[in-house]
Amino acid sequence: MSAARTDKGRGLNRLLVPSFGVRMMLPALLLLASLSIFPFLFIVWMSFNEVSPIGGLSFEFVGLENWVNLFADPDVRSSWMISGIYFVATVGLEMILGIAIALLVHEIVWGKNLAISLLLMPMFIAPVIVGLLGRFLVDPTYGLYAWVLDVTGLFTGNVLGSQGAALAAVILMDVWEWTPLITIIVLAGLSSMPQEIFEAAMVDGANYWQRLRHMVMPFISGVVIVALLIRSMDAIRFFDIIFITTNGGPADSTKIIPIRLYETAFRFFELGYAAAIGLGMLAFSILIANLFLRILAREGLAR
Amino acid sequence: MSAQNIPGAAMGKEGERKAMRPSNGLTRRDFLRITGAGLAGASLFGLAGCGQERGGGVAGGDVWKQFKGTTLQFISENTPPTSAIAANLKPFKDRTGIDVKITQMELGALVEKVALDFGAGEGQYQVIYADPYQVLAPYYQGLAELNTFNEDDSLPSIPKDTGDFIPTQLDAAGKFESEEELYALPYDAPTMIWMYRKDLFEKYGDQMRQDLGFDPTPSDSSTWDQYYQIAKWFNDNANEVKYGTGHQAKQYDSLMCDFSNILWVYGGDYFENGVEVGRLGSEDPGPALLDQPKALEAAEFYNKLLSIAHPGSTTWDWNGVDEAFRAGELAMTPNWHEFAAGIEASDLSGKVGYARLPTGPARAADMYGGTGIGINSGAPEDEQRAAWLFVVWATSPQTQRMGLFSEEGGGTPTRQSVYEIPEVEQAKKRPSEAPNMLTADAVSKAWEPQNIGLRPKIQQWNECDTIIFTELSKMLAGDKSPEQAMKYAKAGFDRATGAA
Repeated sequence: MSAARTDKGRGLNRLLVPSFGVRMMLPALLLLASLSIFPFLFIVWMSFNEVSPIGGLSFEFVGLENWVNLFADPDVRSSWMISGIYFVATVGLEMILGIAIALLVHEIVWGKNLAISLLLMPMFIAPVIVGLLGRFLVDPTYGLYAWVLDVTGLFTGNVLGSQGAALAAVILMDVWEWTPLITIIVLAGLSSMPQEIFEAAMVDGANYWQRLRHMVMPFISGVVIVALLIRSMDAIRFFDIIFITTNGGPADSTKIIPIRLYETAFRFFELGYAAAIGLGMLAFSILIANLFLRILAREGLAR
Repeated sequence: MSAQNIPGAAMGKEGERKAMRPSNGLTRRDFLRITGAGLAGASLFGLAGCGQERGGGVAGGDVWKQFKGTTLQFISENTPPTSAIAANLKPFKDRTGIDVKITQMELGALVEKVALDFGAGEGQYQVIYADPYQVLAPYYQGLAELNTFNEDDSLPSIPKDTGDFIPTQLDAAGKFESEEELYALPYDAPTMIWMYRKDLFEKYGDQMRQDLGFDPTPSDSSTWDQYYQIAKWFNDNANEVKYGTGHQAKQYDSLMCDFSNILWVYGGDYFENGVEVGRLGSEDPGPALLDQPKALEAAEFYNKLLSIAHPGSTTWDWNGVDEAFRAGELAMTPNWHEFAAGIEASDLSGKVGYARLPTGPARAADMYGGTGIGINSGAPEDEQRAAWLFVVWATSPQTQRMGLFSEEGGGTPTRQSVYEIPEVEQAKKRPSEAPNMLTADAVSKAWEPQNIGLRPKIQQWNECDTIIFTELSKMLAGDKSPEQAMKYAKAGFDRATGAA
């Protein structure tokens, strides 16, 4: 009887007093909860409310209204479409250019470090400065690029004032800044390739393109997917350059979803609806991340 | 109260300040003439005299010193008056013992911070740059009612009382819905005017007169239709500039400002009783009027005007169009009058004229973009009272005069008495130590009740503003006809205000 009571007491004790391991992790768990979990749950709660700071912070439960709006709002749909174009164009161009530049730099024998240093420079500039630089360069009054485009007859209109050109301009600004990231990641992959098998392939008569297709690309595919994952996550939340250059215009042609989110949250202060848009972005990010992780797992690279 | 409220000459010591008060025999003009010369020194040696001191309240103490040791946070848009004040805070610190930390930022970021501060009830910023449309209208409940401080015997009152402020500005920047309650004191007053290349108008005046059949010289009777014809004439005939006109037509607040001038002169408006909705504001402005024929006529004209404007217009806000104008690309532009300071410091110095914006079939209208400063009602009471001292000082005649002539500044006085100071009168003519005063004749007429252009002071203005400038941007891009743009804008306004 007393032994049974003791066992029961121990079980209760185990439940009430966390183990040593849990106690050790508790501070970190609490920090994580305060930084991520509680705000996340709060945002989920906000998305079911109409939240307004006007006249003091107020919550009014509206059920699924914000979520219904999220799918029914043509403006948000249009922003998702522009985001999609932007996403494919930036990530696609950055991957193609980044890999190409990495392959070229990998072949450099003399001055390689200098070339890499120069290549990396755009990455160290704050995106908002990149936006300002871009804006100055295509300004119709004193912009160098605007002048070059004009005198060469390539584009005689107003770059940031024309719908297609404005979207192309902000895409290229992002590509200019972040292609070096892809380059440096791919270069790291190229540097770790064993040279012996390449030499053996060359002895066997494989040309450059054959080596690239059958040896280099399979070898660096893991790092390429990681680079793709990193840039994809960044591209989804891209904001600064568009905010500073076009503010979403002209005619909403560059209003990608983060700009729409900012506008809803901090210009209209429709915080409940903004929470729903934000959660939509989060869901999309998770979807993309999972897609790439599955590819990595399929290739046996997710180690 | 106004008879007793005199600015004093800011000598730094109470005795000296009292000695500077005019006797009953002196008129205000006499007093200003006598004290005017001393004002420059006054602002250097300590403000004092910025407010009327009253006997009660602080037993045996100095009302300006009662909050010594307090630190105030002033959040402001990065505007010329704040830059001038930030560079000249020492007199205030010396006189009050109060430290003022100034945070300057772009207006959108300011609105975001202030709204979150109000929402959280933190009172982090005691003094707030209260934009009438983005802060005052939506968050007036977060601002302290200022008459309470002004009537408090233990605090200095507003020098010369509120009657010294330009009346339309006091209403637009300081009040919401009620004539009696006051939430902010007018602090800056940018207003849109017509800036034109006087040298080119002189050179081509006769030719234009002959070709166009009217006198092109900008005047109070010039119309927007004439403006269009002049701009087109420059496009076709003058080599000195690329285009006759340029506009701040970026998909941004600036586009709404630029268009509103046209909307009003054609007799259109955003809401029924638009003048009052602009002057005092409204929590329930009713249905929007943007689909009405006059608004449509205005949109069609604006579309036509922009079709001959510099193509850069659709990427420019007010800064962009100013840069283009200073770069010699434009013969004329509607822009905020405070850009005159930069123009007069550029290669165009002396070559530019400033006039009121053209009129239209219904009225004259010059967009007013002024702002007041107010006090955060969420701050502790003592901090609010200390903030009152700063608000009184920052909007006092001496400080406004200091800002006007400050190298850092370039702001514009919001008080009538400052314009009567001989030194300021003098600055209205070239060579001017305060180039903004070269626009004084134009803006003083623009601030008259029948001319001032006031956008709706409503709680949902941020959303309505975004709707109108987005629809206009679509119209200018050719995505929508003027009729479609106005129809969509009206629907958006009604949805935002709950009138749908």
